[in-house]
Amino acid sequence: MSATDRFERVPSLPSSTRDRQSLVLTLLAGSIALTLLTPMLWVVLQASQVPLDRILEILLRQETLDIVLNTVVLVTAVTIGSVLVGVPLAMLTVQTDLPFRRFWTVLAAMPLVIPSYIGAFAFISATGQGGAFTDILAPIGIEQIPEIDGLVGSVIVLTLFTYPYVYLTTRASLLSLDGRAIEAARSLNHSRLSAFRRVTLPQLVPGIAAGALLVALYTLSDFGTPALMQYDVFTRMIYVEYDAWRLDYASIFSLLLVGMAIVILAAESRIERTDEGEAYVNRGTDRPGTISLGRWKGPALAFCSTVALLALIVPPAILLYWLGRSTGGIGGSYEFQWIYAWNSVYVSSLAAGVSVLAALPLAYLSARGESRWASLPERSSYVGYAVPGVVLGLGLLYFTLHYVDSLYYTVDILVFAYVVRFMPQAVGTLRSSVLQTDRKLVEAARTLGHSSLSAFRKVVLPLVMPGVIAGAALVFLTSMKEMAATLLLRYPGFETLATYIWLVRSSADYGDAALPALVLIGVSGLSMLVLLWRGYDVQE
Amino acid sequence: MTDHDSDFDGGASGGRETSSRRRFLAASGVTAVGAVAGCLGGPGGNGDGSSGDGEMNEFSLGSFQGSGPFVGSRPEPSGTSIRDLPNLSGTFGVALGGGEGGLYIDLFEELEEIYPDLTIEHRTAPSTDLANTIKQEADADNVQQDIFLSVDAGSLGVVSEAGATQQLSADAISSVPSAFKDDERNWVGVAGRARAVPYNTNELSASDVPSTVQEFPDTLGGSMGWAPSYGAFQSFITAMRLIHDDETAIQWLEDMQNAGVETYADEFQVSQAVADGNLNAGFANHYYALRVKAWNDDPPIELAFTEGDAGALVNVSGAAVLTGADDTAAATDFVRHLLSAEAQEFFATRTYAYPMIPGVQPVGDLPTVDELDAPDIDLTELSDRGGTLDVMREAGLSV
Repeated sequence: MSATDRFERVPSLPSSTRDRQSLVLTLLAGSIALTLLTPMLWVVLQASQVPLDRILEILLRQETLDIVLNTVVLVTAVTIGSVLVGVPLAMLTVQTDLPFRRFWTVLAAMPLVIPSYIGAFAFISATGQGGAFTDILAPIGIEQIPEIDGLVGSVIVLTLFTYPYVYLTTRASLLSLDGRAIEAARSLNHSRLSAFRRVTLPQLVPGIAAGALLVALYTLSDFGTPALMQYDVFTRMIYVEYDAWRLDYASIFSLLLVGMAIVILAAESRIERTDEGEAYVNRGTDRPGTISLGRWKGPALAFCSTVALLALIVPPAILLYWLGRSTGGIGGSYEFQWIYAWNSVYVSSLAAGVSVLAALPLAYLSARGESRWASLPERSSYVGYAVPGVVLGLGLLYFTLHYVDSLYYTVDILVFAYVVRFMPQAVGTLRSSVLQTDRKLVEAARTLGHSSLSAFRKVVLPLVMPGVIAGAALVFLTSMKEMAATLLLRYPGFETLATYIWLVRSSADYGDAALPALVLIGVSGLSMLVLLWRGYDVQE
Repeated sequence: MTDHDSDFDGGASGGRETSSRRRFLAASGVTAVGAVAGCLGGPGGNGDGSSGDGEMNEFSLGSFQGSGPFVGSRPEPSGTSIRDLPNLSGTFGVALGGGEGGLYIDLFEELEEIYPDLTIEHRTAPSTDLANTIKQEADADNVQQDIFLSVDAGSLGVVSEAGATQQLSADAISSVPSAFKDDERNWVGVAGRARAVPYNTNELSASDVPSTVQEFPDTLGGSMGWAPSYGAFQSFITAMRLIHDDETAIQWLEDMQNAGVETYADEFQVSQAVADGNLNAGFANHYYALRVKAWNDDPPIELAFTEGDAGALVNVSGAAVLTGADDTAAATDFVRHLLSAEAQEFFATRTYAYPMIPGVQPVGDLPTVDELDAPDIDLTELSDRGGTLDVMREAGLSV
């Protein structure tokens, strides 16, 4: 590997202590990973009830093949789209003299606060005949906006609301980029483009891949957007079978979905491994110089504004348009209460806290472990992220009722569900942070007589703090939006913003659903701002 | 965000026979004064709900009817009034399936207004979710809630099959025709919905609509719309499979497609397209046409019903007492309240559903449930929706 490996074994430590510590870490990470996989027990049990010939028949029929293809197309397109939006935004906000850079830095991350199902709803109700856009734009002579739906609609919406994953991870990589290498390349007569391609890009690839992984897995497991856009993918198939009381079939499709997730995970691992493995290590503070945009300033600003307009202005504007309008629903007056907002914030915060704590051992082992299996607990934690909420919810229900029934009808089971579903996001950010910390610093602390725990606390923790905060923020935001598992697992009287939106949405009265949707966006947005301003990499 | 669960849909159970139209003492809502009849409930344990004791406030029928467009000229409902039922008190845990826009929650709030000592703790989720939850709870012998109120009768069948229900007393559900309750009394229908053929009155007259589903491909098929991904449509196909067989259903689906039927996302859209003149007719649940009427100014849409076949299927939302209820009698009294004249009036005027007791009329100029010629099938068997998915796929429909 690299030069730092030579410092790996600290002579002053007896190897038995090292072994014991690494054994403890491995056991800890392993048991966390197993806990996260417990809901899958039910899925496997259900699937195992289907005879093999029936499984083959289901897997090989034309409809299944079509849906696999549809899903692959959607995941690929959204992932590429997110990279095309997220990477330029990251570069513009980190490396250039873009006007109002700090403003755009925060804004570019904000679409994460908008649930993609709300985004999809906004675009559907805004476009096409009789859409809100047509109403709004009619006075200025625009008669019709084509309807956005199907594959195109799904790709646009999912890209707009998931690209921040790529933006955030790419940004983190850019911030730790070694500027001296670029200068060296430039001094060797490489053009700026060529220097980017040969020096910058290879260093960015693992960061981009980490974000793209989250985008791909999110797209794989999302039900709301393709369902609203009427584009047939795996998750819809799972719901159709689930709704027809064929849990066994739904489980088979869920396992197939997990299979696809494993392929994506393996692909991402390969991308990361082909890299030198040292790109993340922050050796110094020599950041590359700022690139002057010159005449590209206008187009750059136009690009940033367009993304912000589509992702951040359109959905709230549409919601405001519906607010207070009656749209032919059948009524029902289940009133909004602010306690729902508090409930959402409360469980999501707990989920964020627990996720970060549980993610740390996995991330640390994966980043620092010497065995080739060290990444296994970290990789396996992504399984929960790829499974649709309702399947995961039922799996969790089964496990809880049979093995830890004291959890049932408590807030804890919701926290558990969110941790299983969303912790991988924290694992990802933490892992890159751990990789970025220079091992030599830990070794130095150890040689100065600090115990490994103390060295971790005094040296590693402060350095990984940005990763901790970013991970917590991502888990918090996705937990705020979670609907399917929450509907299954909450106890009577406990409503979150998302379940309340479901409740009023079923009356088909958009006016009623607009208020809680706006509150959800508002509360998530405020939390995001606090997080971004407090610690995460805004002050570079 | 599941869209398939947003409305009445799905189905199962109960054998359809001719209903005997029993008349109960006419409790003209506003004037009758509550007399506690047949106090069956004992005190509930563990903070469970109880009946028979507790206070009762005065109320008006109007608060149950709401102010919908079809309320104006309704006859007084007859049947057992809430005033004649044991008072409810304590806490009832209700698993409430489906959304219906919090409408059923409105009914709970009405009841809580009437009984100051009553608290209804509801857990609301898609019916399928709740049925699966209750089934798992029953497997672990840990059923939490007292009552399951589902917009999908198939869910009730699943729950009673899992052994999670307690038998209702014959007396409590005697006002409901036997077609709309379980033979073993594990659940009872509280509101019905009929399959119907909405048609555009500018294009067609009632006599143009065939009286059997099988005639549609050769007659109106080319100018019709349907929503095959919608649960109620799938129950309709399931009924066709039960009455005939899989092959007949496949053939019919293929013939309709060859005739040029148009596909919509849901049955409200089908009904709206009929009213807008984009379709001559469609397949939809009856209440969608009423919603279209309620929100448009005299749209050219009316309903026709086929006779004695799948096209005239009447499916129900229903209630069951769960094994989680310690006081079965009190929980049963809760179900009696759902079958009271006032609650039935609520279902009829607020959700446009078919009332389940003969003393309450459906809204608008709908035929009564007895006048509909519903097919003679066991509603529990409608839960075989999986087989219907296979049939629809076989016929080349994407479901």
